[in-house]
Amino acid sequence: MPEWGGGRTTLEMIVQELQRPVAFDETFERRVMVRVRRLHAERRSRGWVAIASRITHRPGWAAALAASVVAVVTLGLMRSRPDSARQGGAPLEPVQFVLVAPEAHSVAVVGDFNDWGLNDSALVATNHEGVWSVTAPVPAGVHRYAFLVNGKQWVADPSAPRATDDDFGMPSSALVVEDSTR
Amino acid sequence: MNRSARAVSALILAAVAFAPAHAQDPRLGNPLDAPSRVAINALIDSARAQGIPTEPLIQKMNQGVAMGVDGPRIVAAVRTLTREMATAHRALGTVATADEIQAAASAVHAGVPAVELGKIKKQSGLRRSLTLPFTVLADIVSRGVPVEAGVNAIRSLVGAGAKDTDINTFQRNVSGDIEKGAPPAAAAETRAKAVPTKPDSAKPEQL
Repeated sequence: MPEWGGGRTTLEMIVQELQRPVAFDETFERRVMVRVRRLHAERRSRGWVAIASRITHRPGWAAALAASVVAVVTLGLMRSRPDSARQGGAPLEPVQFVLVAPEAHSVAVVGDFNDWGLNDSALVATNHEGVWSVTAPVPAGVHRYAFLVNGKQWVADPSAPRATDDDFGMPSSALVVEDSTR
Repeated sequence: MNRSARAVSALILAAVAFAPAHAQDPRLGNPLDAPSRVAINALIDSARAQGIPTEPLIQKMNQGVAMGVDGPRIVAAVRTLTREMATAHRALGTVATADEIQAAASAVHAGVPAVELGKIKKQSGLRRSLTLPFTVLADIVSRGVPVEAGVNAIRSLVGAGAKDTDINTFQRNVSGDIEKGAPPAAAAETRAKAVPTKPDSAKPEQL
């Protein structure tokens, strides 16, 4: 999917193209009037189907079509903009995650804030004599997360509220990050 | 090719490029089987149409994928969450934030009647976020605190103007007491009395 920012750039390019003045030659007006008269005559004789076949090279119609396409694409993008884009605008607050696991070989934090990505190196905890910890910026809001121990065992944070909707049979925790700017 | 034709061509190309982007959230996990993806996409569209936050649904799916759960079970979990968030949304009203709705849904999942959550929201007013109180209510009920005792404890804390830090402390103390063998209801009732209160902020705002 194109990035949101990338899409905006493309749209700006399209708008710029549409705004560029179109140079007409001296005979343009005369040719247009000839066509108009002919179209008028055809409409009388054959109806609107004839007109539709004549509008393909008209800058005015092209601009209208272009504007419609831009509107449809833009509205579609706005409508489909995921909540994460909204969440992406939420301020990031540093959060320390700590798990006491003396026997563990590795501990990582996985949750909503990293789309439950298993390979997020930013959330790999470091070991200090069995106390594993990592501090990471997390968007303000409510999140679900869990520790992944040794790459296979899911462990809830014993110091945090439980996420009650553990439908998958593996424990997880709830985290509410306050917006310190409010 | 004249300018207008070039512009139209560019627009058509742009439309083709963007079309898949708004047909479906790109995070609808590739590891999922196609029927599950379609089902989850439909649930997300339904939630969006009802004004329910969709991000928690996507994250529920991501969680299932990360935990290696099969597609139908993930769909069932997303469907349950959609239903619980709709219930929470109706109970809290339009003044509730997306985070409050998600937290209230977790309380509903734990067994708290949505009407009780609505009462707490009405009591607390507009400025006080109930995301943490609802999260803690869900937690203590899941640890065995009876629903009525849990609701009363949270309602008294919120009504007395307890801050989020106080409610965090309350949760830690109640869970610690229960782990040490205390009856859950007694733990909640006793710990709720210990939280510092601010009578001035106890007045509810008009909704």
